[in-house]
Amino acid sequence: MTAAIEICNLSYRYPDGREALRNISFTIDEGECVGLIGPNGAGKSTLLLHLNGILPEKPNGAVRVFGQTELAMMRRDVGLLFQDPDDQLFCPTVYEDVAFGPQQLGLPEEPATQALAQAGLVGFEKRSPHHLSHGEKRRVCLAGVLACQPRVLALDEPTSGLDPRGRREFKALLHKIRATKLITTHDLDFVAEFCSRVLVLDQGELAADGPAEEILSDMSLMLAHGLERPHTLQHRHPH
Amino acid sequence: MRHDFLDRYSRQDTPTHRASAEAKLTCGLAVVALTVAAPLDALPYFVALASALVAVALAARIPLNYLGVRLLWMEPFVLGVGVLTLLQPQGWKVFLGIVVKSTLSLVTMAVLANTTPFAEILRVLRRIRLPALLVTTLALMYRYLFVLVDEAERMQRARVARTFDRRRLYSWKMLATVLGQLFVRSTERAERIYSAMLARGWK
Repeated sequence: MTAAIEICNLSYRYPDGREALRNISFTIDEGECVGLIGPNGAGKSTLLLHLNGILPEKPNGAVRVFGQTELAMMRRDVGLLFQDPDDQLFCPTVYEDVAFGPQQLGLPEEPATQALAQAGLVGFEKRSPHHLSHGEKRRVCLAGVLACQPRVLALDEPTSGLDPRGRREFKALLHKIRATKLITTHDLDFVAEFCSRVLVLDQGELAADGPAEEILSDMSLMLAHGLERPHTLQHRHPH
Repeated sequence: MRHDFLDRYSRQDTPTHRASAEAKLTCGLAVVALTVAAPLDALPYFVALASALVAVALAARIPLNYLGVRLLWMEPFVLGVGVLTLLQPQGWKVFLGIVVKSTLSLVTMAVLANTTPFAEILRVLRRIRLPALLVTTLALMYRYLFVLVDEAERMQRARVARTFDRRRLYSWKMLATVLGQLFVRSTERAERIYSAMLARGWK
């Protein structure tokens, strides 16, 4: 197995001096689907941003993506889906937004067309992002990320704010994508269904790391970190 | 949520809307340039232009009262600039000239914006080699104007929902707070947008 993401003793302080991440280390192998859970303000989003080396201050510790530490290569390999689709959709039309990544990377625009089709957005090309529903915006964001053909997907609360149908569609779409995935979310049923491994982050520290079922059903661990056992695991009966 | 106060009618399907964006933009800019350059007393030209604009608006099925309301929003800026000319001798002539010229130019631009989708205008600007940074800035402005309006509207609503003290001074103070908040939120959003651009390879 090759390691897709290696994080070694990563610590980070916000510009105002607050400690966001404290001595975090883990490795994610290629093809794994990992859930990153924890209470609000635990540092989950900050951790994801580090995979793209976006934060202005140099962190302590090392982040390697497929063994590389060079920013341009990391950004190419890791597709980051932001929490608020309005932050991510900055172009005037859907097509331009999806084609933005390939253009910047100097790739042909073909992947953009493919990504649009993959996300079920054929016919949306000329629409403006501000005329889309939240679920549609999410899918455009994902298409924009997929168009860069990343090897790792880092998704920041991909199902928040979606209605059940939007959530179902988004999950189906995600299921078909073959990439290493690191997903932060509060949707624990989603984690139980989707992820084989879970990382628990609390107050900037890695509190647990292990197989999803084991961690999600550990009631005391979950409660200690502002979480709970997902319903799907609570109501499973052995018959 | 109001997402279309700028160009509500730009996505219709009429012959005017189907005409090439290049032609419409050239035409619009030429008309504005001509209007600015015209002598103050070129009455026939002004009348002809006004009727032409009304004709185009009707052909493009843009309601005239919509254009009127748009104009009312812009007119204070024109008047603000124009008022200064009243201080010079014979100033009212210049003032009238400025008002007529800028009103006609504004209507021209409003008609252009409502017959051509903004993305098309940007495409033409890019084609005629306007500096990429300027086009990008325009594109971002258009995109986030609506997000900003939405945000302001939400904050305003939240404020109204918890306003129990109706004294005037207090409401001015609140308005100042809302504006300040809006500014802070916008700069934070700008940072997040920049991150999102970096994440997809922006150089």
